[in-house]
Amino acid sequence: MRRLGLEVAVFGRSTYLQYVALFQWATIRGYIAYKILLPVTQILFFVELGVYATGRQNALYFALGNALQLTANAGIFGVIATVANERQFGTLPLLLASPANRLVTFLSRAIVNVIDGVATVVIGLAVTVVLFGLDLHQANLPLLALCVVVISLTTAGLGLMFGSIGLVMRDAIIIANLVYYLLLIVCGINFPVSRLPGVLQLVAYSLPLTRGVQAARDAAAGASLGQVSGLLGGELLIGLLWAMGGYALFRILESWARRGGLQEAY
Amino acid sequence: MSLARASWRAFVVSIRLRVISPWSYLNWLVFPLLFAAVGLYVLNTRGASSSHLVYGVLGGGLIGYWSVAYIDAGNGIQDERWSGTLEQIFATPTPLWAILLGKVCGGMLFGLLSFLPTAAFAYLGFHAVLPALDPWKFVISLGVLTLAFFCIAITLAPLFALWRSAFQMLNGFELGVYILCGFMFPVAVLAPWAQGVAGVLAPTWAVRALYASTVAGGPHDFALWWLVAGALSVAYLVCAYFLYGLVEREARVSGELALA
Repeated sequence: MRRLGLEVAVFGRSTYLQYVALFQWATIRGYIAYKILLPVTQILFFVELGVYATGRQNALYFALGNALQLTANAGIFGVIATVANERQFGTLPLLLASPANRLVTFLSRAIVNVIDGVATVVIGLAVTVVLFGLDLHQANLPLLALCVVVISLTTAGLGLMFGSIGLVMRDAIIIANLVYYLLLIVCGINFPVSRLPGVLQLVAYSLPLTRGVQAARDAAAGASLGQVSGLLGGELLIGLLWAMGGYALFRILESWARRGGLQEAY
Repeated sequence: MSLARASWRAFVVSIRLRVISPWSYLNWLVFPLLFAAVGLYVLNTRGASSSHLVYGVLGGGLIGYWSVAYIDAGNGIQDERWSGTLEQIFATPTPLWAILLGKVCGGMLFGLLSFLPTAAFAYLGFHAVLPALDPWKFVISLGVLTLAFFCIAITLAPLFALWRSAFQMLNGFELGVYILCGFMFPVAVLAPWAQGVAGVLAPTWAVRALYASTVAGGPHDFALWWLVAGALSVAYLVCAYFLYGLVEREARVSGELALA
């Protein structure tokens, strides 16, 4: 019991420290630029593109999809940067030398970004309601909120996977850019997954977001928890698998970085 | 002659740096392809007109070209500051504009490459082509667009160096620029006030001419569009002249530029 308490304390301390030290970009201007301006313009761009291509009647499909995809902004960019920044700031050797539980410190890298991801989606949905008249009267709001939380968790799981690469790669944020925009193509954000070639559909269903976005679309249309539980369960499972894969990769690369003296190679 | 040589050397160095930079490949190769893929999937609906598909063919390339112009070329001074070479550049007898000219041209050349993978992807993946391409008007429009991007990059270079948050804000507003300049759909679909804002951006007019040169229908006021884009580009250069004065003052008089 005492050991569990200690681990919780490490988790809390690590989460707090990663917030104050690694969330350094979150100045007011930085937050406005990357957490308000970027999400709002992303929604506007894809909605206008969709309206031009398919007509005004489909605006909500694009608006909702892109509002939900914003979780990846925090889950992918935030988490990858959080792990990669340890290396850039020269604190990685200290972290690797500490006796703290690796799993606890690893997972604590994601938690602030999960909260931030939920906040970003709330901004995105607010924009969608105000600008495009998203009607949530029929929506199952508690379920929609649950979907947002689940998607935030699962995208953070994916972020942890790619964040681990930051242990040995200098420009890990390039991976973040690649993954973030790849999700736009394959996860059913702007067009149904069924339009993709077979191989890419397989990729789509092995990634977070695909099932979560579908569940959230259903929740916005008034579906019940029972109707989307399969989708949400699958989404959680996929996110967990990516996070576990990320942790395994973290341990492997930690050992590799230690052997090769790569922790401080920048 | 020595100024031309200095610009040429800056151009060569900038090309070499871009060849080995992964960021460069992200901007001219990966981003354009990703946006082209989304654009083509969305625009390529059943019964879509060929004018719709044109936006998918060229849109990704335009996005890549713009990204390189404002990130790579616009950060011409900022890069030197981060590399610790800003003082040396100011201390050399070669004027700053001659060095930046070479650097920005190097960036623009890489930006132009964006059209190759996206056009190939559109053709191979979606059998999408430019239906009624007028080669001369297309080339001139692309030249006018290059001038517009060049002038914007030259103007942004001192702006980004003086106000770090300017880059942050433009980076955050990147997709807003895609909207206002009509990179992937016509500006005419926007609200009237947004069309007014788009009207003061030189690339908007050049992009309009570029797309018009690929389709048979619609208005074809090329001369007017080229003229407006050119005039606005010159206006940006006038702004740039004053901004470079400010940069010189910060760097030489107060010595604070490297600290910003």
